[in-house]
Amino acid sequence: MPAISIDTFFACSLMVLLVLSAMAGASKLLYPHITNTIGENMGERYRETSKYILLNDGTPSNWGQNNQTIPEIFGLAKKNSNNPYELDIDKVSRLNSENVYAFSYAQMFTALKFSDVSLRIKMETFFDVAINLTAVFEASNETTYQFEILSRKYGVSVQTELRCYVIAESYFESYYVFASNGRSNLNITIPNDVDGPALLAVLARSTDDTQIVSFESYSLAHNSTEPQPGGAFLRLSPLNYSLTASFVYPETMLSNAYALTFDYSLTLTQTSISNDSATYDVANFLDFSPTLLIVTGWNSTNFFTEWTAYPQIPLETGADFADSMTLSDVYAYSYIVTINSVLYKCTIWLGGPRN
Amino acid sequence: MKRQNEGQIRIIEAFLAVLIIFSAFAVSANLAATQTMAKNDDLTSVGLQALLKLDSDGSLGKHIDGGNWSALRDSLSLVLPVGVAFNLTVYDEQMQRVNNAVVSNGAFGSQDVAFVEYVCASSGSVFRCYEVHLCLAVAK
Repeated sequence: MPAISIDTFFACSLMVLLVLSAMAGASKLLYPHITNTIGENMGERYRETSKYILLNDGTPSNWGQNNQTIPEIFGLAKKNSNNPYELDIDKVSRLNSENVYAFSYAQMFTALKFSDVSLRIKMETFFDVAINLTAVFEASNETTYQFEILSRKYGVSVQTELRCYVIAESYFESYYVFASNGRSNLNITIPNDVDGPALLAVLARSTDDTQIVSFESYSLAHNSTEPQPGGAFLRLSPLNYSLTASFVYPETMLSNAYALTFDYSLTLTQTSISNDSATYDVANFLDFSPTLLIVTGWNSTNFFTEWTAYPQIPLETGADFADSMTLSDVYAYSYIVTINSVLYKCTIWLGGPRN
Repeated sequence: MKRQNEGQIRIIEAFLAVLIIFSAFAVSANLAATQTMAKNDDLTSVGLQALLKLDSDGSLGKHIDGGNWSALRDSLSLVLPVGVAFNLTVYDEQMQRVNNAVVSNGAFGSQDVAFVEYVCASSGSVFRCYEVHLCLAVAK
């Protein structure tokens, strides 16, 4: 075989190899960019959808206030608000499953009007408050409880001022504490003739910005057995500045109800009572603070205190994406929202079938 | 002699073609668009919202008027998501830098920096206008 034929065969093979590798390389190089373009469009669509939920007040625009109304179009914004990302206190409260007037996920999904988009909404305060009972000092006629209260955001201390309320049967006391490095100690003294369990409710406000507030509570056994978990005796549902306390047991008797903010406290007036529930009017405080609503009562011989916040936050509602990450494209968007002059963190997850 | 060299010339041509095509791939790979834009859009949106919300009750202007830079830094740290590094600079009407202290929560470990420009008015009795520049990056 002449040398020229070998050279030509070698060159032709090289060219064929080159063309094949160029085709493979081009498809490999372009594939992620084609996928990214689809992903970017999807991300943009979901981002606009999440903004729409927070900037649109829905139809009818007052669907949150009326416990019977199911919105035609889903939106959480406050009606006629001039402040972007200001949400309606009742629309948000109806997202919480603890509320008897809660809006179900099926209703939310239908009102969103996107058959291929699932959503999950989470609302929370910007920092956490932790209450730890560190010591108990018992005397003949009173007991002193020592607490350590921590204000933290993901482990980082937050400088706050604290308003603490102690509530038991026919007993109400408030304390003010300054937590310079996010840590403070509080001693509360309760007379031994007061029936428990007692509830310590804490509202913490950032000293850097009064719009950033968080809260927590702690039930302590005082002249009583160990306190039951929240919701054991009553289901509290605030809506349209009215509190509905639904009885878990029919033989429940209510004592007092309180509305607490950082600067104000008020005993609530009962407006109606039936065999299974009672309602109270809730004042609209002009205070940069969520309102803590506390109801006390008796279930046969057991005294109890139940509480909730208005707006009913923290909450997490919607589709569970945990097991469907491999089959769906899920995008999360984080927003800073205002409800009654207080800032909250809102995260919206939106997902659909993977492309 | 000429005919004998034809095969060798084709090999040289093939090598030249390989060189040209792979250099084209190398150049186009660097020019390809990335997702940087989308990431920056998210950060810009978060930063703008943070400034807007801090300004909604006048506390942003109050902190700047009072030169309370540590409070401004702590407020931003609270409202911005964990893992976002920021650096804030305040300028007056003459574009003179106002903050004499660094308003930041750490060094930027990323090259993808989002920039937010925000105009803020003082809430005090004397009207002042500030231009706030906020740089944001995802901490690495």
